[in-house]
Amino acid sequence: MTLSLFDLEACFEGVVPSIIATADGNGVPNISYLSHVAMVDSEHVALSNQFFGKTSANIRMNPQATLIAVDAGTGVQFRLELTFAYSLDAGPLFEHLSLQLDATSAQVGMAGIMRLRGLDVFRVLKIESVRATMEPERKASPQRDRLAAAARVVELIAAETDAEGIVDATLNGLKTWLGFEHGLFLELYDERRQLVTIGSLGYAASGIGSEVEIGDGVIGAAAASGSIVKVSDMSRVRRFNAAVRNSSSDENRTRSIVLPGMPDAMSQIAVPLAVAGRPRGALFFESRARLAFTREDETALSIIARHAALALAFSERTSEEAESDRRAQPASTATDRGIHVAHHRFDDSVFIDGTYVIKGVAGRLLAWMLEQHLANGRSEFTNREIRLDGGLRLPDFKDNLETRLLLLRRRLEEKSLPIRLLRLGRGRIALEAEGCVRLSREGI
Amino acid sequence: MIEEDLASFIESPVMQIVGTADEALKPEIGRGAGAWASADRRRVFLVLSAWQWPGTVANLKANGRVAVTFARPADYVSYQVKGAATLQSAVADEIDRSARYLAEMVSTLMRLGIPAEVIAPWLSNRDPFLVGIEVSDIFLQTPGAKAGTRLWSATV
Repeated sequence: MTLSLFDLEACFEGVVPSIIATADGNGVPNISYLSHVAMVDSEHVALSNQFFGKTSANIRMNPQATLIAVDAGTGVQFRLELTFAYSLDAGPLFEHLSLQLDATSAQVGMAGIMRLRGLDVFRVLKIESVRATMEPERKASPQRDRLAAAARVVELIAAETDAEGIVDATLNGLKTWLGFEHGLFLELYDERRQLVTIGSLGYAASGIGSEVEIGDGVIGAAAASGSIVKVSDMSRVRRFNAAVRNSSSDENRTRSIVLPGMPDAMSQIAVPLAVAGRPRGALFFESRARLAFTREDETALSIIARHAALALAFSERTSEEAESDRRAQPASTATDRGIHVAHHRFDDSVFIDGTYVIKGVAGRLLAWMLEQHLANGRSEFTNREIRLDGGLRLPDFKDNLETRLLLLRRRLEEKSLPIRLLRLGRGRIALEAEGCVRLSREGI
Repeated sequence: MIEEDLASFIESPVMQIVGTADEALKPEIGRGAGAWASADRRRVFLVLSAWQWPGTVANLKANGRVAVTFARPADYVSYQVKGAATLQSAVADEIDRSARYLAEMVSTLMRLGIPAEVIAPWLSNRDPFLVGIEVSDIFLQTPGAKAGTRLWSATV
């Protein structure tokens, strides 16, 4: 059987280091491990050149090189005969590999040390497998048809009209059709330079409202760069968030929600959400399996992420025109019970009966609606009037009012609080309080 | 000279990769299956499977030029040794040494989370040869700014 680079996909995940041998003009060999090998096209591979001075010097005197690449799933070794073609220190492939290297080395405590200086691109002359005493088990698991799966998920997203439906269709669709069981949907909030979790799949504590700084970890790197960031074997990776992953009771003190995560994840992938070239958020998935996310998964996820981002942006636009009048059912559970809401102006954090709800714009929105409710008994609001109200000091929303309302609604539900938000239809919501609200504002 | 630290490093469960080249300067790769330093600390001995790495054996027979990198998988600490090699069939004692190395190496890699069946194709001492290397140069190869630093040379 003739092998092609396409058969070697699992060798290029950066899990098992490759080996490169070169020789100088006098035939003195040099042998070294390589952190990253990437496929450029069907005939070329690019090798990371961080500090392999001798390898670099040798291939410029004698362009022949031999590479051993290892399939990280089966351990099978492949021997590639190469000839040095050219070097790269800029361009999309360089940027992509550089980013992968930065994200993964930051997590193993080698930030900056592994910085990519250049890529040496080689033409592949010959590929053969290295004989082994034991034939590896051929994995017979049928491959999912990623293209068909992507189409199914995109259909589910396209059938939705509001932010909640789109977020849920994306996560649930990926679970059903691609088998991803743990993931997050994060939206970018420009004014805070943060990504905020608005959808969650498979975690015991959903982490709705948790935040990731732009550029931080796998998720932050994907959003900052607009490229997919993937880690395929975290067995040696120190998880910097592990220590802070605590019970939610701390929320009331820290006013921040813990990002959910699997302490024993082996694979992670973050996919940027972007519309018209502008970052909007990220999708994140993780798994306990090594090499859980293949190149085909990356392709399917990119297609799905683009559709989800577009659908969200479109739903924001249409939510400006509120649907025809639909009255909320009067809250039947209203009692004389007192509900104390505290709004702290310095960070717009809101606490209901001492329980932390949310901060930032979403907190300000809740306080504003409660204020309107107390002042004139109103319980229904449209997106349009919220956008128009100057008193709210809203930032330039850049089209994500819907997702902020979704975030707020989900937090109120998740904490089982006596104040709820109900979606009445496109661009229209109702506030429901199970008692008499008392609003105190601090730090004016 | 191979210092004591390096001698113990070479004998510990570290991965051993072997570089050679043929007369047309085409490089070849093989993996070692156990190594140790000679008592006088001037040579390194390494067991290699001629069955798995026939190209490496052919090159060693033809010209003896060799480079071996020893790398500790847990922290990437690495050294490269270069020199001139002679080749002979391994004897019982050397084969035992190799077998002990293979068992320790598999355990070490498994502790790092790599499944046994994935490791199996890398490590073989079938049809074992003993490579005796007269060391001419020793380099630090650990990833970082000092990678490639020459630690010792027979000619200096």
